[in-house]
Amino acid sequence: MSQTATAPVVELRHFSKWYGDVVAVADLSFELRPGVTGLLGPNGAGKTTTLKAITGLLQPSQGEVLLFGRPLAGDPMLYRAIGVVPDGDRLYPRLTVRSYARLHADLQGLEQPATAADQAIAQVGMEALAGRRLGGLSKGERQRAKVAGAIVHQPSLLILDEPMTGMDPGQRARFIELVRALGQAGVTVLVSSHILGEVERLASQILVLVSGRLAASGDFHAIRDLMADQPRTVVVQADGARELAAGLIAMPTTVAVEVDGDRMQARTRSVQAFATELPRLARAQGVSLREVRTTDESLEQVFRYLVGRR
Amino acid sequence: MRRAWVVCRHALGQLLAGRRLVVTVLLSAIPLLAPALLFSFQGDSDPVDFSLGLFRNLVLPFLLPVVSLAFATAALGSEVRDGTATNLLLKPISRAAILAAEFAAAAAATLVVLLPLLVVSQAIAGSFDATSLLLGTLAATTVGALAYCALGVALSLFIGRALAVGLVYVVLWEGALVSVAPSASSLAVRGYAEGVLAAITAHDGPTVATRLGPLSSTVLAAVVTLLALALASRRLARMDIR
Repeated sequence: MSQTATAPVVELRHFSKWYGDVVAVADLSFELRPGVTGLLGPNGAGKTTTLKAITGLLQPSQGEVLLFGRPLAGDPMLYRAIGVVPDGDRLYPRLTVRSYARLHADLQGLEQPATAADQAIAQVGMEALAGRRLGGLSKGERQRAKVAGAIVHQPSLLILDEPMTGMDPGQRARFIELVRALGQAGVTVLVSSHILGEVERLASQILVLVSGRLAASGDFHAIRDLMADQPRTVVVQADGARELAAGLIAMPTTVAVEVDGDRMQARTRSVQAFATELPRLARAQGVSLREVRTTDESLEQVFRYLVGRR
Repeated sequence: MRRAWVVCRHALGQLLAGRRLVVTVLLSAIPLLAPALLFSFQGDSDPVDFSLGLFRNLVLPFLLPVVSLAFATAALGSEVRDGTATNLLLKPISRAAILAAEFAAAAAATLVVLLPLLVVSQAIAGSFDATSLLLGTLAATTVGALAYCALGVALSLFIGRALAVGLVYVVLWEGALVSVAPSASSLAVRGYAEGVLAAITAHDGPTVATRLGPLSSTVLAAVVTLLALALASRRLARMDIR
């Protein structure tokens, strides 16, 4: 697949998708070039819808999706350059790992399908399981079999929807190594996940989707720093909550404090500074702490914050 | 073409794998072979009449539509619904070619089950020498299987309970309605199959009374088959795979 160095491999222009009154993705525009890009977002953010639109499984309600500068609709030969690991367990349980990879190689019309299948199986480290039926494998092993099917024809664009679901730590490490190597070899990889740490290990560039909209895009670390600025809520249960609140409100990182009986809820820009100061204050005032916990550590909260910042 | 053959071979393997083949063969063999066996022991009437009756009263109204629709609705529609169709759709093959390959697999699976049983049944009953009856029943089964499979594949892409809806059509339209209003047989696959049977047995076989002539039966069967496939192809090309 020939292309200029600057031409995007994937281009979404004002892509929207809705089902009746429900808007799954709204006015999404981005470009992908060779290397690994993470598509990050909470469940229901529109990641799978976006990936399905890129792979041609869904038609845009509005906007345009271009692969290698061309729309995929009506041009199935573009699939010779695309590998896809779809979400869910979309496998044929009676097939063995080898016959599944071979099926993909045959469907791609490869000259030496058996050799290509064996190579793909080796790339995902499933040589020992090649003769096993897919229905008898663990979820992580089935995911790796799907990856083998997706890379059997050495695609230049690889779309992975939550590929590490069910993989154990060893399998994840090997998978991450494989994806990074493909990215370094010039393959354009788009990998979705709702787990921040997973994406951090895979991709330097990320796209953050929240409620069907692009909340942030660019370098992973810059976006994470943006996330780190978000005030977080800490709930404290203590005998002398009111006395503690007076001390905590004096801290420059504290945004707000609410006291209700022996329960206090504080908003702080630095959980670390809060965690250092709270025990010191409690000790000084002779207050015993019964419970200290943060309430909004979930990724979803962080995403909502990012949307609010835009 | 090579890729379409891979899809067809794979679909046929999926349709005939596991218990589905065993159950279908058993459910078809018992009602088809048991009466033939009983008849061979009693043998008090003409074997040609017996085989013709068995075909018109059991195969055409029951076995042929049930087996065809069971395979056709399991071929593509169920794969689209359970998501396994993505393994085929995300490949350098047009959706029309995938549809044609799945239809061919469903029709082939139907014929693999029914044609040998028809031959064995007529051999047991002693009507094997009536060549035109044998050829007529095989040709009628083939024409019917193609039409039912096209309808089944199309239905399965439009609605979730395609098999049930297909069987309701067979029972209500082809069974009940045609018996009280024979003109309805011009929109009944069973009528087309009977027309083909009548055309082949006309010269030296038993007389088969049908409302549709051989030409109109063949043309209507072809039109229904192609129309159903065209609708299914259009649907598959435009549908979202969730």
